[in-house]
Amino acid sequence: MQVPVAHKIFQHQFWLSPDRCIFWEEAKALIVSDLHFGKSGHFRKNGIPIPQTVYKHDLQRLVDQLQYFQPQQVIVVGDLFHSRENKELELFKRWRHDLIDLPIKLVRGNHDILHDRWYQEAAIEVIEESLTLHTHFKFMHDLEPEQLDHQQYCFSGHIHPGVRVHGLGKQSLAFPCFYFTKTFCILPAFGQFTGLAMINPTAEENVFAIVNKQVIQLQ
Amino acid sequence: MQLQETIGYKTIQQWLAAKGHRPFAFQEEAWEHIVQGKSGLVNAPTGFGKTFSVFLGAVIDFINRHPNNYQTKSKNGLQLLWITPLRALGKDIARAMEEVVTELGMSWQVGIRNGDTTVNERARQKRQMPEALVITPESLHLLLAQKGYADVLKHLRIMAVDEWHELIGSKRGVQVELAVTKIVHTQKAQANWHCAVWGISATIGNLEQAQEVLLAPVGSTGATVKAQLRKEVEIESIIPDEIEKYPWAGHLGIKLAHKVIPILDQSRTTLIFINTRGMSERWYQTLLNIAPELSGAIALHHGSIEQELRLWVEDNLHTGRLKAVVCTASLDLGVDFRPVETVIQVGSPKGVARFLQRAGRSGHQPGEVSKIYFLPTHSLELVEAAALKSAIEENFIESRDPMLLCYDVLIQFLGTLAISDGFKPDELYHEITATYCYRDMTRDEWNAIVHFVTEGGTALQQYDDYKKIEIIDGVYRISNRRIAMRHRLHIGTIVSESMMKVKFVSGGFIGVIEEYFISRLSPGDVFTLAGRNLELVMIKDMTAIVRKSNATKSIVPSWNGGRMPLSANLGKKLREKFTEAEMVAREAMQAVAPAKNTASRHKSLATAWDIELKVLQPLFQLQETLSHVPRANELLIEQIETKDGFHLFVFPFEGRLVHEAMAAILAYRISKITPITFSFAMNDYGFELLSDQPIPVDDTNVYELFAPDDLLADIQRSVNATEMAKRKFRDIAVIGGLVFQGMPGERKKARHLQSSASLLFNVFSEYEPNNLLLRQAYQEVLDQQMEEVRLRNMLERIQQSTIVLTFPERLTPFCFPIKVDSMREQLTSEKLEDRVKKMQLQLSK
Repeated sequence: MQVPVAHKIFQHQFWLSPDRCIFWEEAKALIVSDLHFGKSGHFRKNGIPIPQTVYKHDLQRLVDQLQYFQPQQVIVVGDLFHSRENKELELFKRWRHDLIDLPIKLVRGNHDILHDRWYQEAAIEVIEESLTLHTHFKFMHDLEPEQLDHQQYCFSGHIHPGVRVHGLGKQSLAFPCFYFTKTFCILPAFGQFTGLAMINPTAEENVFAIVNKQVIQLQ
Repeated sequence: MQLQETIGYKTIQQWLAAKGHRPFAFQEEAWEHIVQGKSGLVNAPTGFGKTFSVFLGAVIDFINRHPNNYQTKSKNGLQLLWITPLRALGKDIARAMEEVVTELGMSWQVGIRNGDTTVNERARQKRQMPEALVITPESLHLLLAQKGYADVLKHLRIMAVDEWHELIGSKRGVQVELAVTKIVHTQKAQANWHCAVWGISATIGNLEQAQEVLLAPVGSTGATVKAQLRKEVEIESIIPDEIEKYPWAGHLGIKLAHKVIPILDQSRTTLIFINTRGMSERWYQTLLNIAPELSGAIALHHGSIEQELRLWVEDNLHTGRLKAVVCTASLDLGVDFRPVETVIQVGSPKGVARFLQRAGRSGHQPGEVSKIYFLPTHSLELVEAAALKSAIEENFIESRDPMLLCYDVLIQFLGTLAISDGFKPDELYHEITATYCYRDMTRDEWNAIVHFVTEGGTALQQYDDYKKIEIIDGVYRISNRRIAMRHRLHIGTIVSESMMKVKFVSGGFIGVIEEYFISRLSPGDVFTLAGRNLELVMIKDMTAIVRKSNATKSIVPSWNGGRMPLSANLGKKLREKFTEAEMVAREAMQAVAPAKNTASRHKSLATAWDIELKVLQPLFQLQETLSHVPRANELLIEQIETKDGFHLFVFPFEGRLVHEAMAAILAYRISKITPITFSFAMNDYGFELLSDQPIPVDDTNVYELFAPDDLLADIQRSVNATEMAKRKFRDIAVIGGLVFQGMPGERKKARHLQSSASLLFNVFSEYEPNNLLLRQAYQEVLDQQMEEVRLRNMLERIQQSTIVLTFPERLTPFCFPIKVDSMREQLTSEKLEDRVKKMQLQLSK
C-alpha cells in the first residue's frame, strides 16, 4: 500500500488513504463513507448481472485498512448499505462477526434503510442526523453548508466527489477525491461500484485526488 | 398456372386499369414469385411502386386461394407482416394498403403496431389480428414477447421487410434477422411449412449480400427482382458570392440562408435536409427571421418533435400546403410526398447513398428528374458536391455491412422469448445459428451466453440471489413479473438513448430530448425545441417541465445522433477531386499571375473543371502557397506551432472514425519514440495531434509510422481502444439489459438500480474482464469504430503514396476546420501520476 497523506485540522492529524478513507489519529478512528455494500447483490436480485467480486474486493480493502491503521472505532458517514437486505449482506454479517469488538458508528445515510433489528444484530450503532466527537468534529451524511458553524469541522459523504484535472492540449481526467473546505470535508465513496459527481473547488479549498494507488494534492 | 391467368392477377390488373395504371414489369415479376410461394428481394428506388410489388403480390395470392369469397372472407388471421424501420412510415403505408383493400371490396383489416400504438388498439389486435400488420422491428419483438405468439403467426404467408438497406447495417437489422428465424422455425415446427420472406431495398454496393443476410433463415437465396428504372438526378451547388469571405470551418451554413429563399420561391414544396436536430432548429429560426412571410408555410420535422406535430407536417406535405420543411434524417425514408419538387442538402451528406436517397425525395413521378441543391457549411465542403456528382454518375454507391455476433441483441432476445413461451437452448441454438449474424457462433459461445442470462456471470455462490431467466421443467423462462415488465421496456431501447419528455407546466407535451442534454442544464436555462424557446423549470419523473420563454439567447441542444462519418466511397471521390483542384490551382497561378480581376481569372480556366473547383480556386491557391493541395496519390501532413502547442495535421480523407483510430495509433507509435502526451481532434477530412512538446515526425520515420504492420497489436495497445470501447459499451449495456432506465411511475424505487454504463464498464473491466458484452464492445470498436478493414486499406494506400510534409507558418484552409473542431481524445505514454503533476504545473504557471 502507498503511504497515506497527512492533513491537519484544528491541530488534529488526519491521514488520507488512497483506499478512499481517512484515519483520525487522535480519536483512533477510521472514517469512511458511501460503501454501498450489497449494491451488486441488489442489482443481481433484479436481473442485472454485476460481477460480485467488486463487493468482495471492497470488503477486503476495508480489512486491509483496519489492519494497517488499527483503529479503535469506525465512523461511517452514511450509505454503508445500498438497499434492502439481500444475500450479500450475510457475507457482511459473517465478516462483522469476526471483528465484533470493533465499534462501528453509522450516521444514517439516505441508502441506509434496513430494519433497526438488522443493525442491532450486526452491532452497528446507528446515529440519526449527526454525531459530534471531541467537541469540534461533527459527522453527517449529506451536509448543508449554511447550517455549519465555524466552531465545528464537519465530515460528510453522499455526493461521491470527483475532480476533473485539465491540462494543455485540452487534456482532461477525472478522479475520485477528498474535498476540504474551511468548515467541512467530503469523503470519496469507498465502494468501487459507485459513480462520481464533479466538484468545483474555490482557490482556498483543498482537493486531494486519488490517482491509481496514490493520493495527490491538487490544491 | 401462369400468373397472368390467375383470378388474383386479373382482379388486380383490372383494378389498376380502372385507375389508368399498368403494372411495372418488376412488379409482375415479384407477383409471379410470391404466388409460387418463393422468397426474395425487390430492388427498386422509392417512388416506383415498390410497396405494391410485394403488397399486391400478397393480395393476389389471397384472392387466388379464395377465388369465390375473397371479398367477404374476414377474420383470416395475420396474413402479411410489413416491417418498416420508421414509425412515421407506418401510417402512410397502412393508408395505401387500406385504399387497395377498400377499392377491391375486401374485408381485410390493416393494422399498425409501433411504439405509438395505444393499449386499447393493442388489446384489440390481440383478440383479432388484422390481416396486414405494419410493424417496427422493436414492436415485432414485443409481439414475440407475448404468450401464445405461435398461434398469432399460424396463418402468416408473407413477411416483408421494407427499406432493408436502412436496417441491414444496424442492430435493428439483427433484430429483424432474429425475428425472421424465430417465425420461420415456429411455423416449421407447427406445420412443416413456413411463410415467404421478402426484402425491399434501394441499391447498395452489396445488394447480393443483403439478400443473403435476410434470407439466411429460409435456407435459400430466393429470387432477385430488379426494377430497371433509373432516376435522373440534377445536382447544383449553392455558391457563396465571395468565396474568400466564406468561413473555412463550420457546420451550420446559415450565412447562405438568404440564397435558399429564391429556391423555395421557385418550387412548389422544398425539403431542406440538415444533418442534426440542433442545427435544424437553428435553420428553421433563421429562415423565419430572414423571410417572415414564410411563417405558417414552413415547418420543422425531426425525431425529437412530438408525434402529433410530425404527423401534421407530413399530412401537409402530402397536400402541398407547406412551402418548405426543415428536416433531418427523419424524412429520409418513406412514402413520397408528391408536391416536393426540390431538395436542399445543407452540409455534407457523408455518403453517396444518403445523398441519392435524399435527392430521390423530389420529383418521384417516374420519368421526372430529382433536383437537389448542395449548400456547403464551410468552403472546402464544396468539393464534396463535385465528388458526389461524379460518384453518382458512376453509380459508385456504398455497401452496408451486416453486423455480426451481436451478443447484446441476442441476450435481449433470449429475455424476450423467456417472458413469452420460454425456450429450450438446444432447439434455439439451431434457430439462432441459422441467421447470418450468428452463423459463426460456436457452441461454447452459446453456452456462455445461456450461462450469463441464467447465472449472471461471476458470483459469490452462497451469497448470491441473481435472478433473471430460470429453468422450469427444462424450459428457460422469466417468471418474475417485475423483471418481465422491465424487459419489455428494454426492447425499444435499441433505437433510443435515454430520452426525456418535455412538457409545459400547464401539461402540454412538446417532444422528447436526450437526458444527457437536459442533465447539463440548470433550472432557468433556456433552450430551443420544436422551434420554441423554452425555459427549464424543473425535472420531475423523467420529464423536463418547461415554460415559454421570451429570452433572445437560448441553448440549442447538441444531439449525439447523426454523426455519420464520411463514407469510403465519397472519400475516394473527394481525393480524386483534390487532384483536379490542384491542377486548377496550378493552372490558374501560372496563367494569370499578374491578373487581379477575379472574373478574368475564371475565364482563363479550362471549362471542363467542375464549377465548385473553379470557385474554390482562391482557397486552393492559398493552400498551395502556405502548404500543399494533395493529389489522390499523396498524403499531406502539416506541422504547425501555435500558442496552444505543437500541431500535426494529417489528411487522409477517410472519415472521422478512421481518423480517430489512426490518430490514436499514430500517437501511440510516436509515444514509443519519446514519452509524450497528445490530445487529438478529427473531422471527415483529417486529424490533428496536439502536444505541449515538439512532435518527432520527419521524412526519416514517417512511412514507418504509417506502416500497416502490427496494426492490430497497436490498436489494442493504444489506450484509446479502452475509451472507445467504453463508449460502445454504453449502447451494449442498455441493449443487454445492464443499464436500467426506469419504469414509468416508479422512479424513486428504480433509483437504487441506476448506474452509468461507464461505471459498469470499469467494474466489468476490473472484475470480469472476459465478460461477453465487454468483449463485444472491443469487437465493435474494431469493426465499426476503427473500421479496421478500411483502416488497413488506408495504410496500404499510404504506403503506395507520396507523403508530403509541410511546415506552414500559420493555419491553412485545410487544417483550420480540424483545429476548431472540438471533438477531442487523448493518448499518453506518461504515467498517470506524472501527468497529473504536469497538468498541475501547467495550471499554476
